[in-house]
Amino acid sequence: MNYRMIFYNIGRFLLVESALLMIPAVMSLINNDGAFMAFVITIAALTLTGFVAAVKKPQNNNIYAKDGYVIVSMTWILMSLFGALPFVISGYIPSFTDAFFETVSGFTTTGSTILRDIEIIPKSLLFWRSFTHWIGGMGILVFVIAVMPKTESTSMHIMKAEVPGPTVGKLVSKLRASARILYGIYCVMTILQIIMLVIGGMPLFDSVVNSFATAGTGGFGILNNSIEGYNSLYSEMVIAVFMLLFGINFNLYYMMIIRHGKQALKSEELHWYLGIVTASVLIIAIALMTTDYTAGESFRYAFFQVASIITTTGFSTANFDLWPVICKIVLVLLMFVGACAGSTGGGIKVSRLILLIKGGRRDIRKAINPRSVETVKLDRVSVNEQIVRSVSVFFGMYMIVIAASALLLAIDGHDIVTTITAVIACVGNIGPGLAEVGPAGNFADFSVFSKLVLCFDMLAGRLELIPMLMLFSPYAWSRKYS
Amino acid sequence: MNIIIVGLGKLGATMTKQLVKEGHSITVIDTNSEKIDSFVDAYDVMGVCGTGATCEVLEEAGAAKAKLIIATTGSDELNILCCLVAKRMGTESAISRVRNPDYAKQMQFMRSELGIDMVVNPEFETANEISRIIRFPSAANLDSFARGKVEIAHVRIHSDNILCDMPVHELRKKCKARVLVCAVQRDEEVFIPSGDFILRYDDIISVTGTRSELSVFMKQIGIYKQKIKNVMIIGGGRIAYYLATLLSDTGRNLKLIEQSEERCLKLTDLLPDATIIHGDGTDQDILDEQNLQSQDALVALTAIDEENIIVSMYAESKGINKVITKVNRHSYSILKDIGLETVVSPQIVAGNLVTRYVRALQNSAENSQIQTLYKLLGGKVEAVEFIVPKNAGYIDIPFKKLDLLPNLLIGCIIRNGKIIFPGGDDVMKANDSIIVVTANRIIEDLHDIFV
Repeated sequence: MNYRMIFYNIGRFLLVESALLMIPAVMSLINNDGAFMAFVITIAALTLTGFVAAVKKPQNNNIYAKDGYVIVSMTWILMSLFGALPFVISGYIPSFTDAFFETVSGFTTTGSTILRDIEIIPKSLLFWRSFTHWIGGMGILVFVIAVMPKTESTSMHIMKAEVPGPTVGKLVSKLRASARILYGIYCVMTILQIIMLVIGGMPLFDSVVNSFATAGTGGFGILNNSIEGYNSLYSEMVIAVFMLLFGINFNLYYMMIIRHGKQALKSEELHWYLGIVTASVLIIAIALMTTDYTAGESFRYAFFQVASIITTTGFSTANFDLWPVICKIVLVLLMFVGACAGSTGGGIKVSRLILLIKGGRRDIRKAINPRSVETVKLDRVSVNEQIVRSVSVFFGMYMIVIAASALLLAIDGHDIVTTITAVIACVGNIGPGLAEVGPAGNFADFSVFSKLVLCFDMLAGRLELIPMLMLFSPYAWSRKYS
Repeated sequence: MNIIIVGLGKLGATMTKQLVKEGHSITVIDTNSEKIDSFVDAYDVMGVCGTGATCEVLEEAGAAKAKLIIATTGSDELNILCCLVAKRMGTESAISRVRNPDYAKQMQFMRSELGIDMVVNPEFETANEISRIIRFPSAANLDSFARGKVEIAHVRIHSDNILCDMPVHELRKKCKARVLVCAVQRDEEVFIPSGDFILRYDDIISVTGTRSELSVFMKQIGIYKQKIKNVMIIGGGRIAYYLATLLSDTGRNLKLIEQSEERCLKLTDLLPDATIIHGDGTDQDILDEQNLQSQDALVALTAIDEENIIVSMYAESKGINKVITKVNRHSYSILKDIGLETVVSPQIVAGNLVTRYVRALQNSAENSQIQTLYKLLGGKVEAVEFIVPKNAGYIDIPFKKLDLLPNLLIGCIIRNGKIIFPGGDDVMKANDSIIVVTANRIIEDLHDIFV
């Protein structure tokens, strides 16, 4: 492994984080909310570390797939460690584990919180908390590729590890141009949402922060009862629609921009995604109508909650923990499904689900007629057998990670629903689970050990397992296999 | 610049690597999806899988907006078709590899009637390079500028050489030759030397000068090699054929050893002046029997790199004056460590040609134009020949008043056929040819050489 190149790259990414921290630092200075020194100390620490690591470009600048994975996972861990400092130093989240959990939850766009009372936190810290969603949504490394003047041709390894989905394609031949297009679309959509929310009468700061949380499909609210607190149908609908939009593969937006809109609308993944959303909304709405809700309210809450969960955002407008069991089951299943590949959402991803189902159907047909030759097709094109296989393996590993984490969390002695949904919500980067970690609860009551396990789950889920699991593999560190 | 490269064979791969390094947006097309995947992983390119001559594939690769298509598949006909289709779809320029000597005769027709802007024949270009080396054997390798008026020779300094431990500024006085050291390779590093740079044992130096001055220089430092009269060529492929035709009218004695009898018979028809031997040219007995020892030069041109290397090593051990080795896989840098100094590779030769064309294409809108471009010392150094445009801001200003970039050197100025090695008081004039040598930097315009 090329350690010097790994240090160099991580150093550069930390420098970018320190630059991004300037924004909340300036806010803090203007508002004079007492968190300014916390930001300054963090920025100083980041700049120093980053500078030491990146001061000299190594002679041998070859990085291969393995180095790319290590760079990505280590960068995410280190950025979360440093990103937690402002919360700890300012004293608003005194425990470092809690602050780390909160920051990991931010960068991975999970949105699970350990804060019992969000509203006492100063605005600059709340901004940073939501800003991590926005940065983490599209990926910090992709951001760096887009803005840094010269990227090595081998950066593809890095992009591959960070962009979600079974396969990663570039939009245009240059990686940097691709990253810029992605961020361009991302920025434009975020700004659009901010404007729409401001028009609806939401204060500017809240609009910005909520848009960041929507864009990254994160879900940190800045009111104790999330979006419910605004009590505005218009804002809810704007946020719900934008959540769904950010859950769509960004490549499709690019295709629309270059006037291949028809082709984009034919995307099989998009059809499945919209189909799943519609079906889920219908089921939940009908189930809700049997309770105290009116028909209008049922659809309003069902639509918002389905959009929030399938895109793995995790905003809430109602305490769905109190809904009928059928609704809760649908929502938990949606937690597994997740958004489209190439979006900012988490979960298993719709395209993987399609490949799993089609792969299963193919195998059943093959069992019936062993001589038949069939390939799994997506968008009318045969999918490489290697990818189909890796999707099954991904699904298996996803389940194993959930099972193992649930086992570790069980030590704490919470009830079974809390334990399992907490893990699912973290691995899928959703945010709230059910029972104690439901929309009305939070993750504060878990032990330090459980919180660290959940941090790992969040990072593993965001980086799609392999990069994080690799850190624990002896093969990765052994010279014998390098 | 948007460039489409069709075919990821050895040539396509070399060109892709080179052009990515120059910062172009490359889309590669190949029928082998695995090859594309591995390429897209390793380099900053986009890949399209399919046949490069179909509209569908070219459309996906963005042929309508591409500036250049380079077709390097194994088939000449497919290459030509790729270029024709892409051009119709809106690609501005087309380069095609055409290897069949039958087509080589109608280059002019292809250019004017079919619209293929450049036809590359790597084998012919390689033969051309080898023939140049044979004509001037003292240097390990040789590149020529300004239509052959100025050459750059690469020489390795041996331990008993008077250049050892000599500062560069003393060199011209000691050797009584008007030459200039413009680049030095030491181990893996490359330097553009200033006057007080001290040469060491085992450096490879690049020296510019006219051919006669270079000869004087070689004689002075004691590495002058006798003119080559007898050349032995191992392997009778296309390069051998081109090389033999290029050398045939220079009065040299050629002996060509080829394994296939059928090919031998054909070669006797094609090359009446050469001695054609039927036998395994990699067999030591045959080499001895054919009197290898009395040859002045050996050129190893078989299809297999390993055999070429072994034959060359054997020839070196027998003290053959000049040994030239053709190697397809140029990625190994150890060849010079085992004593093989003169190594040519068709991909690199053709790659340089294409790079030069691409640079010129990029500059065509501007006044200044790259005339020739050479990548020296394993691609780490570039020597670029420019024509000074009229009305440029830097004309008639003495060099000592101009701020040149570090690690850059003006190799020489050619004015009205006269060669000037510029000092601080010299100036550039319009229509001068200027040779700029740089390390680790890409110069596309004369403007780029100033701070």
